[in-house]
Amino acid sequence: MGVASFVPVVLVSGFFWIPPPAEAQENPFDTEVDARIGGRVFLAECGRCHGNDAKGNDETDAPDLTRGRFRNASTDAGLFQVIRDGVPGTTMIGIGWAPDPTIWQIVAYVNSLRIDPADYDLPGSVDQGRRIFNGKGNCASCHVVHGIGGRLGPDLSTVANRRKPEELKTDLTDPDETVEPRWWTLKVTRADGSVAEGLRMNEDTFTLRIMDGDESLRHFSKKDLRSIERIETSTMPSVSGTLTASEVDDLVAYLFSLRKESGT
Amino acid sequence: MKGLFLILALVAPVSPGMGQEPSSPLRPLRKTEAIPSLEPVTWERLRNAAEEPQNWLMYSGTLDSQRFSRLDQVRRENVSELELKWAYQIPEIDRAETVPLVVDGVMFITESPSNVVAVDAGTGRPYWRYEHELPEDLRICCGRNNRGVAILGETLFMSTLDAHLVAIDARSGSLKWNIEVADHKAGYSKTEAPLVVKDLVVTGIAGGEYGIRGFLDAYKPHTGERAWRLYTIPGPGEPGNETWAGESWKTGGAPTWITGSYDPELNLIYWGTGNPGPDWNGEVRMGDNLYSDSALGVEADTGKLAWYFQFTPWDVHDWDAIQVPILTDLELNGEARKVMMWANRNSFYYTLDRKTGEFLVGKPYAKQTWAEGLDERGRPIRAPGKLPTPEGNVVSPPILGGTNWYSPAYSPRTELFYVNAYDGEQEYFIREEEYREGEQYTGGGAQNVQPIDKYKSAIRALDPRTGDLRWEFEIQPRSSSGLLATAGDLVFGGTVDGYFFALDAESGRELWHVAVGARVHSAPITYAVNGRQLVTIAAGNVVFTFGLD
Repeated sequence: MGVASFVPVVLVSGFFWIPPPAEAQENPFDTEVDARIGGRVFLAECGRCHGNDAKGNDETDAPDLTRGRFRNASTDAGLFQVIRDGVPGTTMIGIGWAPDPTIWQIVAYVNSLRIDPADYDLPGSVDQGRRIFNGKGNCASCHVVHGIGGRLGPDLSTVANRRKPEELKTDLTDPDETVEPRWWTLKVTRADGSVAEGLRMNEDTFTLRIMDGDESLRHFSKKDLRSIERIETSTMPSVSGTLTASEVDDLVAYLFSLRKESGT
Repeated sequence: MKGLFLILALVAPVSPGMGQEPSSPLRPLRKTEAIPSLEPVTWERLRNAAEEPQNWLMYSGTLDSQRFSRLDQVRRENVSELELKWAYQIPEIDRAETVPLVVDGVMFITESPSNVVAVDAGTGRPYWRYEHELPEDLRICCGRNNRGVAILGETLFMSTLDAHLVAIDARSGSLKWNIEVADHKAGYSKTEAPLVVKDLVVTGIAGGEYGIRGFLDAYKPHTGERAWRLYTIPGPGEPGNETWAGESWKTGGAPTWITGSYDPELNLIYWGTGNPGPDWNGEVRMGDNLYSDSALGVEADTGKLAWYFQFTPWDVHDWDAIQVPILTDLELNGEARKVMMWANRNSFYYTLDRKTGEFLVGKPYAKQTWAEGLDERGRPIRAPGKLPTPEGNVVSPPILGGTNWYSPAYSPRTELFYVNAYDGEQEYFIREEEYREGEQYTGGGAQNVQPIDKYKSAIRALDPRTGDLRWEFEIQPRSSSGLLATAGDLVFGGTVDGYFFALDAESGRELWHVAVGARVHSAPITYAVNGRQLVTIAAGNVVFTFGLD
């Protein structure tokens, strides 16, 4: 337990240990070598729940750690604390028995997973891409950016935190390549034979909810349905037929500019 | 089975706790007030637990672990009328895996991390809480869990995360004794509910991800003195040690972290063992790795191994044989057999002879790609190209298995075996890793290749004579709940997205469900207070109890 970094505070009711302010510490072990060593420890100690790729696991409730944003920490010191002490009230347990440098190296590794814009020199123009997004590309009719746009596709306000440029390009040219279950389509047939179709907003064992083309939400009990057809392709058309290669580059550049900066 | 409700009516007229509202607040600090009275739970009561269905006296209900209750007040015709009777909020927030016990109107609920609370089973109001002090340097792979207590006489026995076993006065919550079973700093921990067998408390160990050497222990209930220990990995000179390359037996895992069963007639304890360690890098432990991933038949008085059946020799996918063995007697091919039913994490269902461990029936019950089948002795015939690799290799089932530790159930009325099944897959990796005491020692890992919505999860009813599927009830997205079967011809279970439900035990048709708001990661129980049948399930951090109006 790395208690050396704690400050004892005496209160009337007894002794309490409180951690230093989160912003008080920077990672003293943040070289590439540290990140590599931290990665090995991560695989051994954390990979079981967070996955070998650190992308999380629905089964274990472990979150994706590759997006540079964390539920319970916004600074390196905060990450250190989470890794050391765990998160009370969750299944995240700490590895307080490990030496402090090892924990800092895991912090370095987790940080290395973040998509860093400095690693990319993109050919497209952000401004041109914004114009295409709102104009020729007709993207805003389905996608929200900073509160403006349609609801028939994912909110893209921070898409650069979760998608690399090459992934964004694939999303645009081959939308069926990766479709999250939330964006599948469900076609349901009621007992009377009538059909409803829409985006799969929710599906559980007993119910489902879809959003139809008018952005109306419809709720169904599975018991009342004659059949449920699941369409796992995207409702988004490929831009390959409508945009030039250069315009796709511009759009990628714009989308890759949409991010939530660390600490904001 | 008809007329069993009459038994209930006769034996359950009095609940010591009913009608007496404890003066303590919802969360009492440690000991508050003693339970008014508690009929000592003798071995005879435990042995005949099925005959007092108003109680739930051990982790799996009865020694044969069928998780079948003779209560039939709640049945197919009226289960849709179940309503909430009370809810108990566990104050230490974590993912509750507790299976409570109910003894004469008192419920004992284990709480995260290693606490136990006694509540009025009719109202949920607490009597006392025992809070176990834990060190800060725990080694636990998978959450701060505890799955339940055992009872003998007026004493509860509980495993703790620091690998201790404690005995607690069931009337007051005061500690009777506290012993270290193993050194938690070396990676040992304890999460499972012990099993009382005659005058012994039988209990397992966790730590398969830390390179421990697994064992099964028995302790004397009055003193905590150890009566015997059976190592699940044989030492040098013992049969089976040769199935571990070099010194790998010393760090070979094979933990025993789920409660087993007992046959009084054969005087055999049945217990499953977990994965060999390191989990995925089998190259450092070449051989069958006995007795990892096995069902063990253990002589109750001595702890001597009577027989073993290894489901997954040289496991490289972390497919623990940590399932509750269910015992019953069946006629197979015209011959009466004492059998054990087992749906394994490796996606195969097995029926074994529990006198000898002889393999009788084996068949996949969930998607699997790692074996071409089982040979005539039940040994898997491995499919080529299904080992973990440095680059990753997709195999079914995933780490969490075709099923996992989620308790199955069996109904002697339908003669069906009910299991929570999953048709999934994962990409498995291998890596070199050195053993360092107290650190995880897994040698690889796995990751998802598709969203879990892509895979199929279902409650499946199997015919134990053939392993054939009789029916399935599909779950979306999946379930990590144990099951309960009742004489009302119901099967109860839950889902990861917060439903608790009842199915028709004969057909699998859904009859009732309720949103409980958080993952069901425990197993249901049923009992009765004042002649009224109740059904209890822990979901999230809340223990819910339902009953008829």
